[in-house]
Amino acid sequence: MSARDAILAAVGGASRPKADLAREAAALLDRVPGLRPDRVTGDPAEAFLARVAGAAIGATATRVAALSDVPGAVRAYLDGHNLSPTVTLQPHPKLGELDWSGLDTHSAIAVDEAASVLIAPYAVAETGSLVFRSGPDMPVLFAFLPLHCLVVVEAASVVAWLEDCAGIEAKRAAPRNLNLITGASGTTDIEGALVRGAHGPASLHVIFVEPSNPEP
Amino acid sequence: MTAAFSARVDKALADPTLKVAIDRTTGTARTKRAAAVAAWPQFEAARDLGRDIKDHVIANLGFYLAEFECNAKASGAQVHWARTAEEACATVVGICRGAGAKSVTRAKSMLGEEIGLPHALDDAGIERVETDLAEHIVQLAGDRPSHIVWPALHKTREQVGELFRRLHADPGALDSVEAMVGSARRQLRQKFMRADVGISGANFLIADTGAVCTVTNEGNAELTTTPPRVHIVTAGIEKLVPSLEHAMTLLRLLVRSATGAELTQYTTFHCGPRRPGDADGPEAFHIVLVDNGRTRMLADGLADMLRCLRCGACLNHCVVYRQIGGHAYGGVYPGPMGSVLTPVLDGLAESQDLPRACTLNGQCQEVCPVKIPLPTLLRGWRDRAWREGLEPTVSRVGIGVWRIFALRPWLYRLATRLALPMIRLFARRGWIASMPLAGGWTRHRDFPAPARRSFMDQIERTRR
Repeated sequence: MSARDAILAAVGGASRPKADLAREAAALLDRVPGLRPDRVTGDPAEAFLARVAGAAIGATATRVAALSDVPGAVRAYLDGHNLSPTVTLQPHPKLGELDWSGLDTHSAIAVDEAASVLIAPYAVAETGSLVFRSGPDMPVLFAFLPLHCLVVVEAASVVAWLEDCAGIEAKRAAPRNLNLITGASGTTDIEGALVRGAHGPASLHVIFVEPSNPEP
Repeated sequence: MTAAFSARVDKALADPTLKVAIDRTTGTARTKRAAAVAAWPQFEAARDLGRDIKDHVIANLGFYLAEFECNAKASGAQVHWARTAEEACATVVGICRGAGAKSVTRAKSMLGEEIGLPHALDDAGIERVETDLAEHIVQLAGDRPSHIVWPALHKTREQVGELFRRLHADPGALDSVEAMVGSARRQLRQKFMRADVGISGANFLIADTGAVCTVTNEGNAELTTTPPRVHIVTAGIEKLVPSLEHAMTLLRLLVRSATGAELTQYTTFHCGPRRPGDADGPEAFHIVLVDNGRTRMLADGLADMLRCLRCGACLNHCVVYRQIGGHAYGGVYPGPMGSVLTPVLDGLAESQDLPRACTLNGQCQEVCPVKIPLPTLLRGWRDRAWREGLEPTVSRVGIGVWRIFALRPWLYRLATRLALPMIRLFARRGWIASMPLAGGWTRHRDFPAPARRSFMDQIERTRR
């Protein structure tokens, strides 16, 4: 008997109708909304911004009025941190369309890259998480190799709960990597003391694009 | 107590540095978890849901394993099955050899430790690079992990600094924890990019997509699984959840219980190899599903233990773990969860001391995010050790003598009436610092002097 057949025979639990299991699994999820930690009240975009820049996550954030203001915000961040005006740009059409004059942008990434600029397809307010889906326009390493990671988040893209993220992904084909990024890299492996920049970025900076048509 | 266990415990208790190291990390972990739980009024109800999700999967494991395999294959992953640790290691080493791998990076996985994968890779002559900072420290020290979340918890910052000064290529000043982390970053940077194979574990296996979830705070998992040509996952068969949405509830519970954060910095779902057109990612993706005693646990009444998320909260809150640390347990998994699992993995005859090295104070069950009845499971092992005649002669005879007295209340009362004044002879200011036959206790702490009269005598006096 193959290892597969031996294990499946030993665990059992394969005999019940699929519809019954689906019903039970769905009933478990029905209990979630009543017992989530009450972390999102009001506008999810504002809740996200407060959380990501709060003490627990410790990222920094700035607001801009429109996508066209992003290069200026990137420049301000680099200047503020005494970094040269050089960034790796995620090969995403929304970023490619912007006017990057005055900044040296490139599309390859070095092992010791100083800074990258990314755009998150959406973000989760509950946990202050940025969501990335790997693909031709999102190399995974762009979020992990640089010392400074600058991420554009559009207000309209923020969802409230982790379950909303699961709902969005359930409707799409899974990418190689779905990355939920919640703050800069950190470690507490030496005496429990938190130190940033263990292997991934030491700093995470969110560039928050305000809604284009704010509600009156 | 066997001599080997007793010797390990004595060694741990005699090491004042170890106690300092354990207190620093577990103290922080307890404080942060308590704050996270206090900020979540529905935590109790969420624990019930976490338990029910895992129980639902374990009751229907055959269905979910088959569903996961089918979806993982459809995503382009290759799925392997292993009954034992040996089969699992042979599969991983075989994949590495097939890929012509000279260097392998590894992101911390408790299952990898459980099946002895580090040794198997070393024996196969493949360079193994541990990328989790704590595992890197443990590897440099030629040591063993002592905690399932903080494997280098037994090392103080001074010891880590000494190690890096000796073994890192470019250690720098090493005058702070920040400088030590920076040194490790420089040391491992190129190794991430040069590895032929990256190996990770799995915190969850998502049945309806075939994806594998890893959680880290350092980002080392993604740097391990993205640059190499091949990504191998080793996962226990109990790691399944029906869907991504079910995983979210368990992530909330897992992360708060482990570190007190709301979510790990990097929570990643790996699904299949790189897609055509993808900018990076491995060309081949292998998943090794490992039994190694889990089906036996199902058959032996230990299904509750298969809910375990490996958060480490039971270790941090255990009065025994906090005194003796992880190495004294002798197995891969220490603390309360380890004392339940080690007899499964190493055999009860070898590890029967562990279920007995427990005060049954119930703290572990109180903090478990999926409500595993750990004290009940530990008592189950004690019962079984007794029934199988594994109990050492001294305690077997001792309990036999106690039984003679316990079955004859008049004799029991007479004995306590005679013993109390004798014991009190050794007391000074209400405490006993040493007494014949009590050295095992008094070597490490004083024993409170007993009351002048027994409880029964006092009751009878008040009745009169």
